[in-house]
Amino acid sequence: MARRVEQKAAARERIAAQLAAQQAAERRRRLLLAVGAVVLVIVIVGGLVTIRLVGGGKKTATGPSGAADAALITALSSIPESTFSTVGTEGVKAVPSAITAPALTANGKPKVLYIGAEFCPFCAAERWPVTVALSRFGTFSNLGTTHSASADEFPNTPTLSFHGATFTSQYLAFTGVETTTNEQAGNGYKPLDTPAPDDEKTFETYNKPPYVSSEGSIPFIDIGGKFVSSGATYSPQLLAGKTQAQVADALKDPNNDIAKAVIASANVYTAAICKITNNQPANVCTSSAVTAAASKLGSGNS
Amino acid sequence: MSDTAQRSSQTSLGWIPWATLVVSITGLAVAGYLTYEHFTAGTTLACPDTGVVNCAKVTSSQYSKVFGIPVALLGLGFFVGMTALSVPPLWRTSSPWPGRLRLAAVLVGVVFICYLIWAELFQINAICLWCTVVHGLTLILFALVIIRQALIPPAS
Repeated sequence: MARRVEQKAAARERIAAQLAAQQAAERRRRLLLAVGAVVLVIVIVGGLVTIRLVGGGKKTATGPSGAADAALITALSSIPESTFSTVGTEGVKAVPSAITAPALTANGKPKVLYIGAEFCPFCAAERWPVTVALSRFGTFSNLGTTHSASADEFPNTPTLSFHGATFTSQYLAFTGVETTTNEQAGNGYKPLDTPAPDDEKTFETYNKPPYVSSEGSIPFIDIGGKFVSSGATYSPQLLAGKTQAQVADALKDPNNDIAKAVIASANVYTAAICKITNNQPANVCTSSAVTAAASKLGSGNS
Repeated sequence: MSDTAQRSSQTSLGWIPWATLVVSITGLAVAGYLTYEHFTAGTTLACPDTGVVNCAKVTSSQYSKVFGIPVALLGLGFFVGMTALSVPPLWRTSSPWPGRLRLAAVLVGVVFICYLIWAELFQINAICLWCTVVHGLTLILFALVIIRQALIPPAS
């Protein structure tokens, strides 16, 4: 009898020990899973940081200035009319101001003057609609690619460069001046193009109130002495993290935010340019998007 | 459970629940600051605004809202919830729901901060110092809650 009681007690102890061991094992397993989950999250975050540090992931245009390839130029000059009309001008935040000034010309043609700099993020943003608009009137060659300065606001905004570019058109002339590169030199940036004396005079005369909202801002654009604008018509933030090819690709989709900003602005520039080319070419200047954009001109940059 | 055991569970919460409460309150303060800055256009945001570290660039980017809701406000809501769920009575309760809600919240929180870190590093190209503090606190909360959950004996 006593022996049976002892056996039962021993069995109970054995079962209790087994249960305790099972619970301890379960606890260890849960703890291991928890620590594993924490480690996994740390590895994911560390991985993201590492990929970014070694320059992987989404490439931004951080390389030196180079030449725009044919595909990029073609993409900018072959945007369908339907895209221009779908986007319209709804996204435009600023339009060129109408001014009364002597006609700006070169070689007997009305001239568009652009003065900016490669370091400048607002110039980086604005070159896209300016290039798209001008590409409806003529052809660019030796167009460059670059990005705004890494250490400035909206760093590394991908863009084009007018430095060394030539523009051929039967309707108008274009002068693009990039006064500095995006490479720092002392407290500023390395000088690049020097404006011709006449262009410098135009810049000094019309890049200040009341013609534009603030004095000396870049980019400065003078359209034939009839319209001037200063600054960007949309935020360079829209282009953050993109490559030039991705920006050009985005312009194909009228619902894309980049397309809405760039093409809407290009429509307004096109309308302004049409005013100095006597509405030539007609297929561009009488298009629905351009005629609608023309009604927005002259309301100022405020 | 005996009276002694019950008394013991009421007096000795352990350090993890207290640490969770402290981290939640800290997160609440930082998220509150970011929310205030969001709705006042970041005019007094104590953070550099040029170069890689640029809070304003991050907090005013397209990634600063999710479905139209400011991310800062979502963060504030997260830390309000975590603070409420981390008070001692909700650690002591026998109901499994506070623990489940804490776990669900930190899981959602940690997935969300991975998304935000990705956006900062690869889309916005800028780091927001205050947001990074919030990310770090969320990660600590995740570790505390999940380890505490693992230490609780299986229901018996």
